[in-house]
Parts: sequence; structure tokens; C-alpha cells
Amino acid sequence: MKILVCIKQVPDMESKFKVAASGTWYDTADLAWRMNEYDEYAVEQAVQLKEQVGDADLTVLCIGGEQVKETMKKALAMGCDRGVHIADDKSAEKEPYQIAGIIAEFARDKGFDLIFTGMQSQDRGSAQVGVLVAELLAIPSISTIVQFTFAGGRIETKRELEGGVKAIVRTSTPALVTCQLGLNTPRYPTLPNIMKAKKKELVSLPVTDLLKVEARQETAKLFFPEKKGGGLVLEGDVGPLADRLIQILKEKTGVLA
Amino acid sequence: MEFTREIYWNVGHGAATLVPMYLLVIAALAVLVYGFRQRIEVYRLGLPLNRTDNLGDRIVGMLKNVLLQKKVTQVLWPGLLHGLFFWGFFLLLIGTTLIVIQADFTDLLFDYRFLTGTFYKLFSVTLDLAGLVAILMLSGLLIRRYVLRPEGLVTKRDDAIMHGLMLTILCTGFLIEGARMAVTEMGTPLAPWSPVGMAVAGVLSAAGEGALLTVHKLTWWFHLLLVMAFICLIPFTKFRHILTTSANYLFTDRGPKGKLVKLDLENEESETFGATSLKEMTWKDIFDADACTICKRCQDRCPAYATGKPLSPMKVVNQLQEVAFTAPDSQLIELIGKDVLWSCTTCRACQEICPAAIEHVGKIVELRRSMVLMEGEFPGEEVMAAMEATEVNGNPLGIGYASRGDWAEGLGVKTVGEDADIDILYFVGCYASFDKRNIAVARSFIQLCQAAGVKVGILGKEEKCCGEPMRKMGNEYLFQTLAAEMVELINGSGVKKVVTTCPHCYNTLAKDYRDFGLEVEVEPYTVYLERLLSEGRLRVRSEDLVCTYHDSCYLGRHNDIYDAPRQLIRAAGGRITEMEKNREEAFCCSAGGGRIMAEEKIGERINIRRVQMASATGTAILVSNCPFCLTMFEDGVKGAGVEESLKPRDIAEILAERIQRA
Amino acid sequence: MKILLVAEYRDGKLLGSVNELIAFAGKMGAESAMFLVGSDSALPAYAGTLYLADAAACGEFNPDVHKQLLLDVVAREQPEMIVFSHSSYGWDLAPRIACALKAAQVSEVVDVEGDALIVPVCNAKLRRTVKPKTGQTVVTLQAGAFGLADAPVGSPTVEKVAAAGTGKLEFGGYEAAEQGGVDLTKAEVIVSAGRGIGKPENVAMIAALAKALKGEYGASRPVVDSGWVEHKRQVGTTGQSVAPKLYLACGISGAIQHLAGMKKSEFIVAINTDKDAPIGDVADVLVVADLKQFVPMLTEKIQAL
Repeated sequence: MKILVCIKQVPDMESKFKVAASGTWYDTADLAWRMNEYDEYAVEQAVQLKEQVGDADLTVLCIGGEQVKETMKKALAMGCDRGVHIADDKSAEKEPYQIAGIIAEFARDKGFDLIFTGMQSQDRGSAQVGVLVAELLAIPSISTIVQFTFAGGRIETKRELEGGVKAIVRTSTPALVTCQLGLNTPRYPTLPNIMKAKKKELVSLPVTDLLKVEARQETAKLFFPEKKGGGLVLEGDVGPLADRLIQILKEKTGVLA
Repeated sequence: MEFTREIYWNVGHGAATLVPMYLLVIAALAVLVYGFRQRIEVYRLGLPLNRTDNLGDRIVGMLKNVLLQKKVTQVLWPGLLHGLFFWGFFLLLIGTTLIVIQADFTDLLFDYRFLTGTFYKLFSVTLDLAGLVAILMLSGLLIRRYVLRPEGLVTKRDDAIMHGLMLTILCTGFLIEGARMAVTEMGTPLAPWSPVGMAVAGVLSAAGEGALLTVHKLTWWFHLLLVMAFICLIPFTKFRHILTTSANYLFTDRGPKGKLVKLDLENEESETFGATSLKEMTWKDIFDADACTICKRCQDRCPAYATGKPLSPMKVVNQLQEVAFTAPDSQLIELIGKDVLWSCTTCRACQEICPAAIEHVGKIVELRRSMVLMEGEFPGEEVMAAMEATEVNGNPLGIGYASRGDWAEGLGVKTVGEDADIDILYFVGCYASFDKRNIAVARSFIQLCQAAGVKVGILGKEEKCCGEPMRKMGNEYLFQTLAAEMVELINGSGVKKVVTTCPHCYNTLAKDYRDFGLEVEVEPYTVYLERLLSEGRLRVRSEDLVCTYHDSCYLGRHNDIYDAPRQLIRAAGGRITEMEKNREEAFCCSAGGGRIMAEEKIGERINIRRVQMASATGTAILVSNCPFCLTMFEDGVKGAGVEESLKPRDIAEILAERIQRA
Repeated sequence: MKILLVAEYRDGKLLGSVNELIAFAGKMGAESAMFLVGSDSALPAYAGTLYLADAAACGEFNPDVHKQLLLDVVAREQPEMIVFSHSSYGWDLAPRIACALKAAQVSEVVDVEGDALIVPVCNAKLRRTVKPKTGQTVVTLQAGAFGLADAPVGSPTVEKVAAAGTGKLEFGGYEAAEQGGVDLTKAEVIVSAGRGIGKPENVAMIAALAKALKGEYGASRPVVDSGWVEHKRQVGTTGQSVAPKLYLACGISGAIQHLAGMKKSEFIVAINTDKDAPIGDVADVLVVADLKQFVPMLTEKIQAL
């Protein structure tokens, strides 16, 4: 069985973000980097599947500059067999369709039985890439899964819907699934596996060989929203205070909609 | 008359006595040697470890502890009973040896007798009283164990054998003496030099001489057999502690206290890290287990045990011993239990009090290492999240690393990168960098330094967690990654001295980091400020302050710093009402051993217990010296419902409020 | 401008998010049509053309078939924009449509600025203005970003559509949300109690507010340690780390471990008597009030909405 898991390196969301000089993306100075949280679940599920079927080869793919290899090593330490690094110093500027195009181009003739991706990235958060890859490869895809089982060439998943409801969806391989938080418990790599990971194959391919599609959208500007409450301090009688708070919640959050 | 007595009186000094007697002695010693050789085989199952370096110092240390019973008497009453019993028995052993030397060697071979005259009188009275003391002490211990039955004291067959045998040996000794004196010494000026013997003889005198001779002879042989039985039993019962515990003082960890063994992570050959079975621990770990006397002092002081968690350091050690001699291949983690191993706060109370010099903490960490490094397991997901947060942002709280130096804003403190001309480098630590409550402590410390004219530098956003909680939790890999980075950074900064406000950072930098090449001097802020104060560079006003003081585990037990912080408090006008558990006996705040990252799921809250102890002093302020303690106490006063009456403060805050400017 | 709105239907019910789609169309000042795989027994209050496919025939969840139906409608209507909710249905179907139409897709739109769309970046810490470069654009809207002042009125002109084929995915039905089990990490609203609530009896007051907000209640460590609230409701790095849409901290001063475990929440309201408590540093709104009076008042007013 051939399995592909696609991951992204993202800044830690606790970082102090600044708008880059270009004005269209964040400045990368002072950021701490990590594996996209959703992708950690994807890697874990891929590794669990590999452990289940035994005879499987698991490739982890990541697009980005040299620094993403650090994140790929974590995936290798978690149990991926080999790494494919698509070298692209400008991956942050690419829109989801281009990213999906690159991955699909790589995967097209490789015969992957299952492809795992995160449901979305923590930075861009478009929730498009996984489904787009499947569409470009003309294979079925199931998004936002919180449960996954595989047996006899069939997969059964549960999709997370709103309000805690789940939908049971099944399909046959080859297929792609996008993973939601809570799908499993991503493992903490063991030390022997961290050591082994250092010796695993990690090839770099230039992005130019795989990028065959044009961007369909562009970022005009990146900016900080006005502060939500702006550290607003409300004082006074409880009645008017409650009305005031309800008004703010209606304006600034979706919870009273 | 000559003051002496006939040795072998009534039993005879011929071959009929000596041959069977010495055969018995040789047989008993053979059993003793055989027994220990068997045990040594078991000790050798463990990995090698050098514990015979500095042998001279080690021997001195051993003699001090054995002869003076130093560690034993740390707990007063049972310690004193044991200590005096030991001395009684030890004197009897010396006395018997002198008798043997005279009768069977010097007298026999050279016709030389030294047990005569005044020396004999002193010899006689000393041994007589030693026997009495030994009986009284043993009776005291017997009453404690079988009548008073202190909670948690485990009493087994071994204890019955030991108390019974010792008491019988001592009593038959007096019976022999009494019978002999009734026939030979009563009425002579020598008799009062054996007061107990004289009393026994007084009772026995009623019997006729014939009966006394028979009683004496039979009891003599019985007494001899009992002593031989005692020797035989040493390796097979808790009597073995006479040798194993004594030897454990010889093999003791000579420190630095609380420094963990560095795992070799570079070794490509290694396939396992940490221990899952006894064979992956050292011989000393097994020897420790065999040296345990089940005195439960560790258990009595364990904060986890005291609050209903499944850990008892004594039980862990006993389980290791049982496994070593019955099923050495057992999987220790399953056997001992994960919750047990995760419960330890590495507070060192067990190790500090152990009269057998057993090293509990290292064993627990070694087993944790296996869980973390080999299985990727943690006490909970929150701990794994903290580990990952540390990997990404260099602090277990997961706060963006770039804001690490923000706390110092407006204080005029520069990073060593900006200005390397500094007196001290302040290694801030995670809590004082990010937690508003502890930032107040860091800022106070800076104010104090500035008032004393000390120029302080920090590492700013380059600083990361020292790795202490991760290491204690078993994550040696993450610790070593952090340690290597921090050591390079500090060494590269060219500073001469590092000061910390976190005792965990202090212990790690001052001890653990030495294995990673850190060379500069490291000092905890309490010691540093105390010196500034005594040198007159720092001046504080004395303002009345009634408080209690909590010794953090890592400043106290790990580094024996008890007085400097108290002097600082006094200099500030503080009057300390000590908690019942203070100094070496201080009760942990719950956050050591990496538990700061973990949810306390089992039993009562340790921090609440400690806050209640502080509250019981009736003072309004709980002064401490550690960011973990402060964090735990801030929660603890709320959890205990005393937030109105008890305020946790750090020493630096108290002092900073009283800075006296020139 | 012409836009096609894609409404949602689940378990026999039309989802309320349809009103947000209508609001968006209104805001854009665009001519609109609507597409729905649903039922004619649950029609939206919408004055326009509704292309309705029968969910009983096509399946409530069947992306392949829904895609085909929708593409047919797009071919008929030729909209410049196809608009979904950014929901489990929308983000699943939208990329399939965008791919087939060779159209740009802009996800989780929160606002519009001329011909540009504004979307959140990095957990809404930043925003991005996006310009599509294709003639047709597929858009998903953030839940709650577009609201209507008044409930929409009218009834649609229904045009039934149908499709052949079954698709590659097999839908095996729904599984209801777990009852009883508390999972704070999944809650969209969390109301947390700190020691400031004073006594254990006041936990009920916090729970009532949480219920009114359709959320869960949590607690700080001291409250859990005091035994007032069960363990699994502890918020903080030594309990549950949470990131709900709304976090209401009641009487919590904000120990670092608590703050680190909840500061990723999208909107934070603190109710506290102490203006200088650390919780104020992370709160979007700090209500300085006695929560024993304020919380019941707030609960009552929310229930009355």
C-alpha cells in the first residue's frame, strides 16, 4: 500500500506577528515554526494505517524553503518512511489552487492508495488544498474527518458537522481524506525513532518541475483587524452593563446570532 | 584478689569445647559468606557504576554514619532507640571479641592476659550496662513496633525473628553471667562491677550450685547457637542491613546533590534509553533496594503519599528488591505503576531522610525516561502539549518566544547582545518571564540589583527554558537540546557570573549544565542578595513583618540553603514563625519533578496542604523563593479558601519594598 | 452582478445559515438565485429563484451528485459568484465546484471591500484582502459575519432540478452529538468560574449562563481543587487548553497556567471586581462588576433574546 501525507510548516499562533514589507504576507522574523496542527493528525492517522496494514510505504510531502525540513523530520520521526521536500522559497505567496496543483502533479503517477492532509492550515486557513488535490487527481475525498477505519480497500470515516453531529461516510481507495483536530492523539516521537528519522530518505524536488498552474487569486493586503473589544473596560450598573455586553457580543462574535 | 574471671568457666577450655565451638563459628561464617555471594550475584545484574572513587572520604563518611548513627538519629525517638541499641550491641561485640582474643590467642599462645585489674572492672561494668541498654532499647523498639504500631510501619516475619533473636541472645547472656556470678562472684568486691549480673545472680542464688552449673552450661551453648544463628540469618533477613546499609554509606552518591546522570544520546549503538527492567538499572540501584530497612521515613515525608497518591518511595524500593531476587526480568513500569512514577515531585524529602542513603529520585526518573523516550508517554496530554510548546517556543507555557524579554520593559535592563559589559547575567526563567505574578518578582530583583549598583544583563528572547521540568519528567532529549543551546549562549556571552531567581534554574545551571560545558559561576538570588546586604552594598529598611517562610525543595534540600533567605527576611524586619515542617523537612509545593506542567488528578492537592500548614502559623504572609512555589501558593490560598488571610510573596518583593537609597 | 447562493439542509431541516447568504447578497447589492438540496416542505424565506433538488433522491450528503446538480445550475444562471457558508457542507463542496469551474475560491470571507474580499489569517489575528483573478468566484462566508437586521421574508420560486448518478461516496447516516460527556475543547462558548464566585453554590449561576449561551461551563484550577467543579472542566495548561469563539471568565484573576490555556479564544470577556487582574491583559472586554449580580442579570437578558 502506498500512502501520502501532505504537511505544512506554519508559524506558532502564539508568535508576535508583523506585516512584512511586501504588505501581502506576515514577516517571518521572530516567528517560531511548527507543523500545522491539523497535519499532525493526518500524519498520525497515516502512520496508524501503515502500522495496521504492515506492508505499506508512507511518504510525507512538504512544500517550502529549506527550513521546512525540520518539520518534515518530525513527521519522519513519527513514522513516515520517506520525505519529499518540494523546494520553494516562495510557497507562502502561492494560493491554495497552486499548492494543490503542485501536490497533484507530484502524486499523479505515483499510485497512492490513500492521501492524508490536514483539514486546513492554521495560517491561511482556506480548507481547500486537500479536496482540490483529490479533484485534480479525480479520486474521492472526504473532508473534516474525526474517525477513520480501513478494511479491505474500503474506508469508513466520520465527518464532523456543526453542533457535535457526525456523518458516517464510506468510500473505496484510492481516496483522500482531510483530517480534523481530535481525529486521534498524535504521538510524541520516541528517541529511537528520532534517531532513525535522521537517516531516512528526504529528497528535494524543485517546485518549478511541478508547478503547472497559474494563480487564480492574489493577496492585495495583509493587515491587523481593529482590536475586537480593544481592551474595553465596562463599568456601571449591572443592568445597562449587561445590555452593553450583549450588544458587543452581537457585533463582535457570532454566538448570539 | 585479682580482678578477673575465668573465661570458659564451667564449660571448659579444652578441645571438647573449642572444636565444636569453632566448627560452629566457621559454619556460620560460611553460611554468611555464601548468602552474600548469592546476593552479590544479584547486584551484578545491574549496569556498572563507579562508586569507589575517593575511597578515603567514602570510608570516613561510612564510619561517621555507622558509628555515630548520624542519619539514623535524624528522627529523634526511634533513631535514639536504634542508636543506643546499636552502641550497646556494638560494645558487646567488642567485649566478646576481646574475650576471644585473650582466651584463645594471647593467653593460650603467649600466656598474656589483659582482662584484669581496673581494666577488667571497667570492661565488666561497661558490658553489663551495654547489655542492659541494649535490652531496654530493644524493648522500646519492640513496644513501638508491636504495641504502638505507628501508621505505615510494615511488620513482617523478619521483624519477629530479629526482635526475638536479639532479645533472647541478650537475656541468655545475662542468665549465663548471673549463673556464673551466683557460683563464683557473689559477695566479692568484683560483683558490683556487674550490677545487672549481680541482680540476676541474686535471684538465681536460691538454686543449688549443681543446678546453677547445669543451667550455666546449657545456656552457654544455647547462647552460642543463637549467636551463630544470628550470623547465619544476616544475609537472609533484614539483619542484612547491618552490612548492606553500612556499605551503602560507602557507595553513597557524593553529589552534587540532585544532579541527574547524563544519558548518552549520541551513542548510535543504543537502542534503549532509560530503564524498563532491573538489568537496565545500575548495580547500585539493586544494592539500594537491598539496603532498605523499611523504616518508612521516606514514606512519612513524601508529599505525594501524604496527599493520597499511589506513590510510596519505600514501596518502590521494596518492589525493586523483590523483583531483583525473584523475577529480575520483570517489566518494572507495569509492576510499579505509571501513576506511581508520575506522582513524584522529586522533592528529595525521601532521599534526604533515608538512614540507608538510598537514592530514590534517580530511579524514578530513569523509569520515566523509558516511558517518555521509548514510548512517547506522559502523565497526560497537557504534559505532552507543554513539551511540544517548549520545542516550539522554548517555554512550557507555549507563549511566543519573541516576547520573553518584554517583562523588563522600562527597567533599563539590556540583553547581553546589546551590552556585554555587565556584572551579572540574570537567567530569568520561564515563569518570571511570562507570568504577571512572577514578573513582579523579576522586576523586584532588578530594582534590588540596581539599588546596589549592580549592572544586570539578560538574554532576552534568546533565553529558553533551562529544561529542568522536562528532564525530571524523563524527557532527556528535549532537556539536552535546551541545555546545549543555553550553555553555548551563556558561554558565548562572556559573562562571569549568572544569578537566578528560580531554584530549578539554579540547580540545573549550577549542576546539570556542568556536564554540558557550562563554566561560569552560578548563584541563587537569595545568596547573592544576602552578600550584597552583608557587604553593605544593598541597604534595606527594617519594617515589621510577621510571616512564615517556605523552603523550596530546590533551594533547601537540593542545595542546603536555609539561612541566607531567612537572614534576608530578618534584615527586612521579618519575624518568621516557622511551619512545623521546615528546612530539611519542608513539604513540597507540588510543582517539582515537572509536575508544574501536569494536572494533579489523584488525591488531595499538595499545594493546598502546604498552604494550610502556612495558614496554621497564624501569620498573614507566606514568603517563598521559587516561581513554582509562588504559582502553586497563589492557587493554593484560593483552593484552601484563605486568600483573604494569607498572601504569598517572594523574598525579592519584600526586600524591594524596603530599599533604602543612599 | 449575479450571485448564486448555496443553502444547506440537514436531517430534514433547512439550516439557518441561509439568512446569512441572503444578507451577503443584500450587502453586495447583487441579483441572486439560490440552490438547495433539500425538501419543498422546508423552504427558505427568500424572494427569488430557488433551484431545489430533492434530498431524499440525491442524498443529504453526496458531494459528487450535489456538485453535478450545482454545476448544471451554474451553467444555467452564469453567476459571477457562487456563495457557500464556511461550514462542513460549504468547505467540502466549494473546492469541488471551484475546481470544476476553474474559478478562484476565497474561503471564510468576513467582509467585502469593493471587488476585494476580506478573510482572516492566523486564527483571525490578521486579515487579508484578496482579489480573485477569475471571471467566476467561489466564496465561503464565515459563520456570523453577515447578519440581517430583520428576518427575511418572501417565498421562493421553486425550480426543481434532478441529477443522475450516485457518486463515489456512500453516506451512512448521522451520529448524534454525545450526550453528557463534557469536551471543553469542542465547545464554542465557555463560561468559566474562578474563586471569585465565592462559594460552590454559585457554580449553578455560571452553568446557567453557559446554557443560555449554548456553551459549556469550565473553571479555574482553584475552583476545581476546592472540589466545586469536576476535574474535566478545568481550563488551563494543567487542564484543558481551549480556544472557543467566546470565553467568559467569571471571577478569574488569571494565573499564568489559566491564561496560557485559554488566551487563544477568539473573544474573551472577563467579569471581575479587580480591574488590574492579569485576566484584563488578555480580555477583549473587561466588565468591572460583582458577578453575583451581573451574571444572573446577563443570563436573564440573554434568555429573553
